[in-house]
Amino acid sequence: MATALASLLPKPVYAPTVSDDEDEAVQVTAAAPSQSVIIRAAVPPYGQRRGWKPTSPDDFGDGGAYPECHVAQYPLGMGKKKASSGNTLALQVDAEGNVRYDAIAQQGQRPGKIVQSQFKDLVPLAHRKDLDESVRQLERPSEDEVQATTEKTRAALEKLVNGKIKAAQPKNVPDSQGKTSFIRYTPGQQGGSDSLKQRIIKMTEVVEDPLEPPRFKHKKIPRGPPSPPPPVLRSPPRKATAQEQKEWMIPPCISNWKNNKGYTIPLDKRLAADGRGLQDVHINDNFAKFSESLFIADRHAREEVRQRALMQQKLAEKEKAQKEENLRMLAQRAREERAGIPVARPADSKPSAERAAAMQSSLGAYGSGSEDESGEEEEDEDEETARLRDQMRQEKRRERERELRMSNMGTEQRAKMLARQQNRDISEKIALGLAKPTLSKESMLDSRLFNQESLSGTFADDEAYNLYDRPLFHGSSAAAAIYKARGNITEGNQDSFGEGTEEGITRALDNDRFGLGQARIGFEGAQDQEVREGPVQFEKDTGDVFGLDKFLDEAKSGKKRGLDMDAGGSRKRQQLDKATERDT
Amino acid sequence: MSTSALPPINPLLKTCGKCTRDVFASCPDDSIQEEPRSARIRLSVKMNDEYRDVRELPAPLLAQQGAVGPLRPKEQRKAITAGPSAETDASRIIATIDNKPIQQPSTFTSASNLSRALQLHKTTRTIKPTYHPPWKLTRVISGHLGWVRSVAVEPGNKWFATGAGDRVIKIWDLASGELRLSLTGHISTVRGLAVSARHPYLFSCGEDKMVKCWDLEANKVIRHYHGHLSGVYALSLHPTLDILVTSGRDASARVWDMRTKAQIHVLSGHTATVADVKCQESDPQVITGSMDSTVRLWDLAAGKTMVTLTHHKKSVRALAIHPTEYSFASASAGGNNIKKWKCPEGTFVFNFSGHNAIINTLSVNSEGVFFSGGDNGTLTFWDYDTGTAFQNMEDIPQPGSLEAEAGVFCSTFDMTGTRLITGGADKTIKIYAEQTQ
Repeated sequence: MATALASLLPKPVYAPTVSDDEDEAVQVTAAAPSQSVIIRAAVPPYGQRRGWKPTSPDDFGDGGAYPECHVAQYPLGMGKKKASSGNTLALQVDAEGNVRYDAIAQQGQRPGKIVQSQFKDLVPLAHRKDLDESVRQLERPSEDEVQATTEKTRAALEKLVNGKIKAAQPKNVPDSQGKTSFIRYTPGQQGGSDSLKQRIIKMTEVVEDPLEPPRFKHKKIPRGPPSPPPPVLRSPPRKATAQEQKEWMIPPCISNWKNNKGYTIPLDKRLAADGRGLQDVHINDNFAKFSESLFIADRHAREEVRQRALMQQKLAEKEKAQKEENLRMLAQRAREERAGIPVARPADSKPSAERAAAMQSSLGAYGSGSEDESGEEEEDEDEETARLRDQMRQEKRRERERELRMSNMGTEQRAKMLARQQNRDISEKIALGLAKPTLSKESMLDSRLFNQESLSGTFADDEAYNLYDRPLFHGSSAAAAIYKARGNITEGNQDSFGEGTEEGITRALDNDRFGLGQARIGFEGAQDQEVREGPVQFEKDTGDVFGLDKFLDEAKSGKKRGLDMDAGGSRKRQQLDKATERDT
Repeated sequence: MSTSALPPINPLLKTCGKCTRDVFASCPDDSIQEEPRSARIRLSVKMNDEYRDVRELPAPLLAQQGAVGPLRPKEQRKAITAGPSAETDASRIIATIDNKPIQQPSTFTSASNLSRALQLHKTTRTIKPTYHPPWKLTRVISGHLGWVRSVAVEPGNKWFATGAGDRVIKIWDLASGELRLSLTGHISTVRGLAVSARHPYLFSCGEDKMVKCWDLEANKVIRHYHGHLSGVYALSLHPTLDILVTSGRDASARVWDMRTKAQIHVLSGHTATVADVKCQESDPQVITGSMDSTVRLWDLAAGKTMVTLTHHKKSVRALAIHPTEYSFASASAGGNNIKKWKCPEGTFVFNFSGHNAIINTLSVNSEGVFFSGGDNGTLTFWDYDTGTAFQNMEDIPQPGSLEAEAGVFCSTFDMTGTRLITGGADKTIKIYAEQTQ
């Protein structure tokens, strides 16, 4: 009947688990003939297991290790070290076949987390080519979306909050009455006595001390590993140079001496105490040397040029003097010749033709007559004169030509010409570098001495009382700056006191500088003084104020004081007179 | 008749027409439209005549260029630029005549890529910034005895609160600049302030590790949020949930339930001080900027990092979320230090370049005026959409302060966005306003 029922019912979805060993063995034996092949590693029977290594789990069946086999055995895989799956990532490619190198950054992250790991994440949105316009829109989500987000978040957070609050709220408030329940208890064995047939039991929970420390120690579970760090999409920081490091060094917060009260010292003060900015810029001495030597060289060159010019001038003067002398000599000679004085001419020192020509030309004004020339030199003389005449004629012609040219010249040209004639055109000289300004005494002075306060002239003359006639430090002392007279006409302040006029001065005197009001009484007796015009004039008092002259006269006259009776007598008499007056 | 003597009329007419055309071709007139068919014929003849030899590249060159894959459909680039399309009529006609594919430059040749990139660059550079009137200092309020480290404007735009190094929170009238109230209770510098839009609460946090909730009806502290291990540097309120997020020197941001004071999440992951935190109503609902020079966007429900932005080189001290645009900005020290990001995935948008200072604070209003204040007292106003600076200013410290005290620590626009309130190292609050013409 049971089998009939089983046939009627549908086959069970889950086969009943049969775990009995004997059952399995029976099944195996029963199924053995029907199944064709059962691949089963034959475990050698006991005693024949020498050299046999149980490796697969099948070798153990369900049993344990074989103690007679001296190899490492892991029945049921127990004790076997799990081969780690390895942290090697499989190479992943995207739809276009590009290798996804950032797979490592994405792995191990929570699903839904966005990891920015590629270069495109550094590209500004407007320049990105992998996004279309809809992505570039910066539209806020709609009300509904916001509402949905809010609801979702609220639900999630409420759950959390409720959990937290429950932990905080007291769970078991001890009931003051006690949670008591009464149980009617009927013992099972109705023993001898009837009195104990039924009992009523009062059940009460044990009251817990709310301040009792927890019985079980709460152990904190160590925190899990943090999520893998995100890829860094910035360049590494630049290393600070030694200079920068030095600049960043801020001196500690104490003064150079002591900071008893522990005041905070502002940063700028600390830096000031450090003396970082105090070193002034040091300029190399060589700059000064260089400029000095340049200056000296300049002066030297000027001096040399001046010397040379002087020398040239002297030479020119000398030459001129020589020429004059020469002319004078020639004239002398000519005069002598004319006077008929025979010239003592040495035969060997016969003048050359040129010399003669020059002489002739120079003496042209004298209308040289050579009538007293010797006859044998006549032809010679004729030739000479002819040549001279020719020369003169040529000169004359040149002169005429020049005049013609000049008459044809423009005014400007002529002016230039005139200037040149009068030695006033120096453009050529400038071009040739010959022109130089007239040397004055000032140009010889060292310009470094200009613009400086100096004592005038020399200290040499003791008698001259001009040593202190000007202030030593004029305008530099503090006194000069502070006590500057506002209106010193003598100091060149011409505008003060109404330009020194009378009413200007009186106005200045009346000017109530300190706002004290007009002084009603000046010095006593000053009122009576007559109004003065002009400065106070002192006159020599010729009167004998102290009686010195008289004394000296007396001394000169040689009278003895003791001898002169009348004076002493008179005094006595005076005293006597006084006494008598008193008596009367 | 004489008609037989006349030349045939057709060639005459043709020459006449040609002459007319030549004469009037020079003056542009719509009436002389090129007949499409004739133009087509002319072009094709010209192409056949003159360019037949160069229609195809010579074989060696072709081989050199390599095989080019199938052409992608040519997308019409809708660039940000507004301007006429580069396609001209002639090229379209040529394309219709010459149905061979245009030789597309190979994607592997770097030169062509470069030129394309340059072209793209050029086209994207042509976005014009919108005009903003310049800003001017209108009011200086000197009332605090310490650095003014935090400022917050009330949602009703009637007053604003400042917190300073003198441990006092002061509440000022926004219109008149008069002191209304001083709240004492913190025992160290007040670093963060926020006024709730949905509760009568003012929240404050300070370097004394305390986060306080003030009831503005009683002007008393009604809650403390206890849990920070070190100074709390920033605070932000969630716009739609009753949640408060604080961040501080313990390298964590903490999410608090406003009512129960329970700490919902510890947003840990930063390795240095979290200098600023901001909340918004949609994902990412919490954004933190840290001294480890990263910005993290958080999944608030799970309390886990969604994205970590590692672009900044120095510590990120300031964040600003745009009120209407789905983007935010972060700022650190150094050059190229202000970056704009797109929400929700934190895509880099661009740099605001030109403010080389340690940026302490950022603010943005809904008109796209973006403000950055530096530690050395430099202030820059930017156009938020294009990243163009339109005004550079120097903070003038109040008389009697050191040169080093020209620093801006905090800033906020008022609710209308027409006034900017900054707090500085010279212990003053300065109010800037747009200059109206």
